[in-house]
Amino acid sequence: MKRFLRYINVYELVRPIGQLLVFSVGSAAAMSAIVVALALVLDRSAVGVHLMEKLNVTVLTYTLTNLPQVVIDGLTIGFVYAAIALGYTMVYGVLQFINFAHSEIFAVGAFVGVELLIFLQSAGVLAGASLFMAYAYLLLAILLGMLAAGGLAVAVERIAYRPLRGASRLVPLISAIGVSFLLQDVIRLVEGLTSGQFNRIMPTFGNFDDRIIFGKLVLGASKLTLGISIKSIIVIVVAVLMLVGLNYLVNATRVGKAIRAVAQDMPTASLMGINVNRIISLTFLVGGLLGGAAGVLYALKFTRIDPFIGFFPGLKAFTAAVLGGIGNMTGALLGGIILGLLETFAGSYMGTFTMGAAGSEYKDIFAFSILILVLIFRPQGLMGKNVGQKA
Amino acid sequence: MALLEIANITKTFGGLKAISDVTFSLEKGRIVSIIGPNGAGKTSFFNTLTGIYKPDSGSITFNGKSLLGLRPDQIAACGIARTFQNIRLFPDMTVIENIMVGMHIHFKQSALAILFRSPAFKKEEREAEQKALRLMKYVGLHNVENELAKNLPYGAQRRLEIARALAADPQLLLLDEPAAGMNPQETEDIIQLFRNIRDKMGITILLIEHDMRVVMNISEDICVMDYGVKIAQGTPAEIRNNSRVIEAYLGRGAVAGQHEEKMQ
Amino acid sequence: MVSSYLKALFDKVNQGPLAYVFILVHMIAGTFLVYTQPRSNLAFLVLITSFLSLYFFRADARFKLIVAAIMALVIIPIIGVRNIFYLEVIFQISVFAALALGLNIVVGFAGLLDLGYVAFYAVGAYLWAFFGSQQFYVLHFAPGTQPAGLPFLLPGDAFYMFLLVGVVIAGLTGILLGLPVLRLKGDYLAIVTLGFGEVIRVLANNLDKPLNITNGPQGITPIQRPTMPEFAVDWFNTIFSPLIGHPISRADMYNLMFYILALMVIIVIIFVTRRLDDSKLGRAWTAVREDETAAIAQGIPLVRMKLTAFAVGASFAGVMGVLLAASRTFISPESFTFMQSIGVLSMVILGGSGSIPGVILGAATVTILNLQVLQGFSLYLNDLRQSDAVIPVINFAWKNLSTQLDPAKYQKLLFGLILILMMIFRPAGLIPAKRRKRDVAREETK
Repeated sequence: MKRFLRYINVYELVRPIGQLLVFSVGSAAAMSAIVVALALVLDRSAVGVHLMEKLNVTVLTYTLTNLPQVVIDGLTIGFVYAAIALGYTMVYGVLQFINFAHSEIFAVGAFVGVELLIFLQSAGVLAGASLFMAYAYLLLAILLGMLAAGGLAVAVERIAYRPLRGASRLVPLISAIGVSFLLQDVIRLVEGLTSGQFNRIMPTFGNFDDRIIFGKLVLGASKLTLGISIKSIIVIVVAVLMLVGLNYLVNATRVGKAIRAVAQDMPTASLMGINVNRIISLTFLVGGLLGGAAGVLYALKFTRIDPFIGFFPGLKAFTAAVLGGIGNMTGALLGGIILGLLETFAGSYMGTFTMGAAGSEYKDIFAFSILILVLIFRPQGLMGKNVGQKA
Repeated sequence: MALLEIANITKTFGGLKAISDVTFSLEKGRIVSIIGPNGAGKTSFFNTLTGIYKPDSGSITFNGKSLLGLRPDQIAACGIARTFQNIRLFPDMTVIENIMVGMHIHFKQSALAILFRSPAFKKEEREAEQKALRLMKYVGLHNVENELAKNLPYGAQRRLEIARALAADPQLLLLDEPAAGMNPQETEDIIQLFRNIRDKMGITILLIEHDMRVVMNISEDICVMDYGVKIAQGTPAEIRNNSRVIEAYLGRGAVAGQHEEKMQ
Repeated sequence: MVSSYLKALFDKVNQGPLAYVFILVHMIAGTFLVYTQPRSNLAFLVLITSFLSLYFFRADARFKLIVAAIMALVIIPIIGVRNIFYLEVIFQISVFAALALGLNIVVGFAGLLDLGYVAFYAVGAYLWAFFGSQQFYVLHFAPGTQPAGLPFLLPGDAFYMFLLVGVVIAGLTGILLGLPVLRLKGDYLAIVTLGFGEVIRVLANNLDKPLNITNGPQGITPIQRPTMPEFAVDWFNTIFSPLIGHPISRADMYNLMFYILALMVIIVIIFVTRRLDDSKLGRAWTAVREDETAAIAQGIPLVRMKLTAFAVGASFAGVMGVLLAASRTFISPESFTFMQSIGVLSMVILGGSGSIPGVILGAATVTILNLQVLQGFSLYLNDLRQSDAVIPVINFAWKNLSTQLDPAKYQKLLFGLILILMMIFRPAGLIPAKRRKRDVAREETK
């Protein structure tokens, strides 16, 4: 056992878990505090009166009753965003290029996973499956989604980006936009040809929809149930495993060192004997694997998927990567968690806090606003470093 | 009063001191060279001077006016023009257009004049073309006005860059390795060109060079940098015998003036 | 090999009277074909491509102008009224050509990748939609709950003034949007402009409460059009109805009127673009696009140049938005999606970034592909579905093909393919931009 431990860099396994814990708890606590403070203030204003008339609760009570679910949902989607964001940030770190098509890689992963499960369901296998088998099937779906997405990412790089590597910065970016659009309609085409339906629904099986209840609190006239659905637990656990795995790969293995070398200085890395093309393909592969898994997890959490589900999560994940500091893996984690929480908080509370003037539809452009603000005021993100330009 | 006064300039990148406490003054009408091993901070010095980098501390005064906090385009408008170590022409613009862009600051066309092609506009464009032609002839470019800049041979590109810099009618011309990659004849020509620029156009020249023939031949004053620090300043004769300078270059097996040291 | 052979062949033909003959033959053949076969897409293509002949063959500038004028003002109105679908296609080409020219200034001249260009189009459209409709009186009603018989805020003829207002407001929006973001690097600028485009769309969709400004997803209708003098219809009918075969209605006349208006706007846009291009501004934009560091060293103020490009491009989109709102009398947020922005981008990229004839060609090509070719596939596929035919190798019956599979709806595929293929094979576009060769008369040397 001791010899085995010597081969494993335990620090690099524990560190990201520690970071994720700190980020999650820290951000959740901070946002909860802000929201509660806001609620206290708003209780004395027209908003409080309005809410009392409509629902017979104070803003504070309303806030607190929803808080646990909001935090859990926020973290769940935050981890999904973090997984997608890592794909963006890795490619950007190595190539200084925004892989616009990554959002569709994510979508393809979701579709492959869901289609597999739908197939299994129609084969009658899912209905009577034992709990163990249900998890096994889910794992299979995730793995298949990962492989499909990873393979697609590598193919896209080979076909649409590599021929353009010498050109100006805008050229591969335009190509990436083209790939993104192309893939959206290819998914539609394939779905149209095979199942004839664009909206696919994740089959229900296993105990994923059950909730685990921790306890109940009573607040005035409302009851507060603290619980978490198994779905969310699965999403968080799988995401954490992937994030830890990726961190280990990049920071504690030889191939990870090669990736970091290429990211820092491509010509020198190639002079040191590193096959840069292979490393770039690997980067896309890993990003794709993560994105694909995130896709299946997303499908698990939200049940319905369509060919355009990549667009918003992709953009938000990119915002998360920028927020944390593009090119910085820890930054992607932090950015994802913060954005997920921010968005869920905004979606849940904005409507009530503004008396319906700004509804939850504004949630989607929330991320854009953050993106714009970050890029204007702190373009290097929360964790990034400013890199100057050589003349 | 000196044309350019630089006092205690420092620029740090992360842990690296690119320029460390450099003080330097440049009199009007002189040709001064900055030399030093690669990585000594010479181009960083130019970049700080032209506003691409913001110095961490120190002062830069040009014609009595402080350049600190100004954007590069504002500094250019003050009368400082430059060329770049790796030629930065506008590759898909023609030769004459490149030079006309150099004159950007001096064009007075208003939006209305542009839209309606007023006689003033046409006159200004015509005069600009003529001036560009004159500059082309001055640096030795002939009959290539409609050629794309990227299609010119290397030596011609270097000269075009100088023509473009001259087009702004600057008071100070910063040349970053203008003789790099030139053969002996071209180098001779360019030395003569620099002298002409100083004598006939009254422009002060500050140049970074590795080619010691050029440096020793033309400089009235030489400033030596190493690891971001100014280690010596003086006439060519003084610098040639300065032990610190020799030490900085030691190991490359060269004594200035006797071997070529062309770092590409 | 083949292309150089074709090029040599073309050069041989493209001289002297032969060139004139080609142009005229192409034009007359196209006209004749469309006149006799009003429903044939192929005939229409022959007619439209005669504009290409006009561009590429060498002929006297005045001749080209006269031919173009006859095509645009006589032939197209006639065939457009005979088959209203063609007029619609040409109108859409005009609108998108203007948009492409505007985006061309931002992307092609200044090198700024703007992925949210459609936002300025939306600003112009909603501007007239609000002021030229009853929306002002609907401000306090939720969508769909307003009473009938409300007045219109402004008379329809205010439209002409609003063309100018649209230019100004859209330009200001461009400056406003550009100020915070034009310092950003290319990739980031692209994403942020994408974000802005989406923000505008979401706002259009949701600004129906607390004040009902945009009427939400239902859009605003009816929007007024400028009045059509009765004598114009009569005049047109007197001259043209024998050629067309029947007198035209007021509705047809309106379609023609907006087509002519769009044409006029494009001519102004081309005029402005060319003048700007060949000036210190155009050179500065090109310099900024090619090498920002070198440009700034020449004293070019980066942010101001980029803002100007943004504002000019935005103003073109704004004026077209006003035109669109009046011509359709109805707008909704659906016309201003991200896909539309990318559609305009693909027109610019296909035709030739930075090239005026290029982007017009790009706009025409993509619009025709969209409206006619894809539609054609759709109809063909539907015919196959009605029949008993089978796909040969795999023996799959066409009628079993899902009705969801409708080629007309696969625009994203089209745009995506265009972008990827052009970047890999011909990034300069179909008609690449060329620098102007200056004819410099040398002074006598002293």
